[in-house]
Amino acid sequence: MTILKRHLAALAFGAILAAAGQANAAEPVKLGVINPIKTLVGKQNLEGAQLAAEMINQDGGILGGRKIELVTYDTNFSPPEGVAALQRLLTQDRVKVVAGEISSSVALAAIPVIEGEDAIFMAAVPKHPDVTKSGYDKIFRMNTTTAQDAQSFDTFLLETVKPAKVAILAENSDFGQVTINQMKKLFGDKLVYSDTFGMQQNDFAAMSTNARSSGADTICIVGSNMEQYGNILRSLSDLGFNGNRCLMPGVLNSQGVQIAGAAAEKAFSADIYVPSIDNAFNKRFVAAFEKKFGRKPEKIEVLGFESIWIAAKAMDKAGTADDTTKIAKVIHEGKWETPRGEVTFDKNGQASSGELIRLVVKSGEIVVNR
Amino acid sequence: MLELLLQQAVNGLTQGMAYALVALGLTMIFGVLHIINFSHGELYMLGGLMAVVATTMLGLPYGLALVLAVVAVVAIAALVDLVAVRPVLPTKDGPSTVLLSTFAVSLLLHQSVLSTWGPNPSRVEGLAGSLSLGPIVITNHRLLVLVSGVVILLAIEYVLRRTLVGRRIRAVAQSEFAAQVVGIDVARIRTLTFLGAAAIAAIAGALIAPVSLFTPSMGQHAIITAFVVVVIGGMGNATGAVVCGLLLGLLEALASAFMPQDMGTAVIYALLLIFLLIRPQGLFAGRAR
Repeated sequence: MTILKRHLAALAFGAILAAAGQANAAEPVKLGVINPIKTLVGKQNLEGAQLAAEMINQDGGILGGRKIELVTYDTNFSPPEGVAALQRLLTQDRVKVVAGEISSSVALAAIPVIEGEDAIFMAAVPKHPDVTKSGYDKIFRMNTTTAQDAQSFDTFLLETVKPAKVAILAENSDFGQVTINQMKKLFGDKLVYSDTFGMQQNDFAAMSTNARSSGADTICIVGSNMEQYGNILRSLSDLGFNGNRCLMPGVLNSQGVQIAGAAAEKAFSADIYVPSIDNAFNKRFVAAFEKKFGRKPEKIEVLGFESIWIAAKAMDKAGTADDTTKIAKVIHEGKWETPRGEVTFDKNGQASSGELIRLVVKSGEIVVNR
Repeated sequence: MLELLLQQAVNGLTQGMAYALVALGLTMIFGVLHIINFSHGELYMLGGLMAVVATTMLGLPYGLALVLAVVAVVAIAALVDLVAVRPVLPTKDGPSTVLLSTFAVSLLLHQSVLSTWGPNPSRVEGLAGSLSLGPIVITNHRLLVLVSGVVILLAIEYVLRRTLVGRRIRAVAQSEFAAQVVGIDVARIRTLTFLGAAAIAAIAGALIAPVSLFTPSMGQHAIITAFVVVVIGGMGNATGAVVCGLLLGLLEALASAFMPQDMGTAVIYALLLIFLLIRPQGLFAGRAR
């Protein structure tokens, strides 16, 4: 009788342990996402992150079957709101990895908070060089920096486009100012006109008139906001400008082309991604994205996708969802297959995937410029 | 150089008329109801949205889109008047409270559009083609904005000067008490003015969307410049709003030929400060109605 009781107790104990084990396996891994989700770019970036979580879950999850769950907060392009969102994610929601974001200002404000909680930040879009210069080894950036873009695009401008006179219209931001300085060094006296526009400006007739009157045969636009560069292209077209129009790398997307309409024809740029990249992973990604959101993905969506995809795959490979030191080490050392190809990270956490792809607008579509 | 200045003058006049069209409704409401309607920018945005819906989703011609924009926005404005202006205005500190209630309405309208339509900008096809006068180019749609502004101003002048309703509106603007004494239904005149201003905001939104795109935040950007125009032109003065709108547009465009664009904008806000200090009643205060 006593032996039977002992056996029953052992069975019950085993059942409880097994149930607890199953509960742990079923418990989802929470990943934080911050983004200005009320804006178009923020929404695009979030959609990429959502698809990554969905594809990982469809493939059986990570760490022996645990699903990915995204916890999302709006940063509204505001550093204080971004910091508040991070604090909620790290202290209340207990996430160890935060991904996403568009704004460099928000990302820079986020870094001390991330470091204070020993968390990992997978910054998707912010371009400011300082994002990966904090010295904290758990910050990673998916997007290219302006310097990386310049290395590739400057050669193309100088050796292939060969402009006689250049004008530059730039947004009044770090991105705009850094690019104007870089173009001054690159073109010297050939840069005949440059001006900046406010981030809220929506009429560019005056600025476009000045650029046209400068005699430039190539007008380069530095604007991350598609409404603004789309409107500039329209203004240049309205004024009858028919020289070269270039958009600095990383900003041209299909919605901008749609806004500009026929005025975008033959405008050229360069970027790290186009949906037509010919690899199996990209084909699967594009098909899944089109099915879920009814349109083709672009660079911003891919960066959102990568920020979650790489973090989750690294957790799986490291065998932990909590040990951020192990996960960061795996990210640093790994080669990651993503829709744009193979992505690696340098010691500062900066992603790289080789040369930029040259792009041009033809018949309302962004295609590879051969 | 002359060619550049002439082109910038044309650019400035069309941009200025866009400012003036938004400021017109705002100044009318201030002139008659003596309130600042913070939701005016969002009514302007809804005019743009209706133009998008009518032309791209319903496939209507642009002219019909203008009519639809006016009808829809006036209906929404009637609701705003009913819940946020009429019940609040007669209370103690009514005009100050209306400022807050219309601010609440503006946030409500903006967030409603953001959460249903989304933040995406949309292009509206207006009048196609452009007109070239030697080296000077103006698109047909910008010309339409310019002509519409003049027509609307003349129509307002005619209604105010030559019609019974206009005389009643002027009477209420001068003294509500005296207007009541002579049997004018002040509440009705206030509502009519509010709806008239909303109609102008709707036309402005639908006219400007093809020039600078529709975005849910277009109202928030426009209302700031409209306030500058209204203050410099003299609060409550329709002619002042149009003249100052045009002057502001011209100044911005011509200044951009000599200084960075952002500096031009700084000059405008400096002007606002100067006017508030030396002539707070505005340029056209002597003719205020």
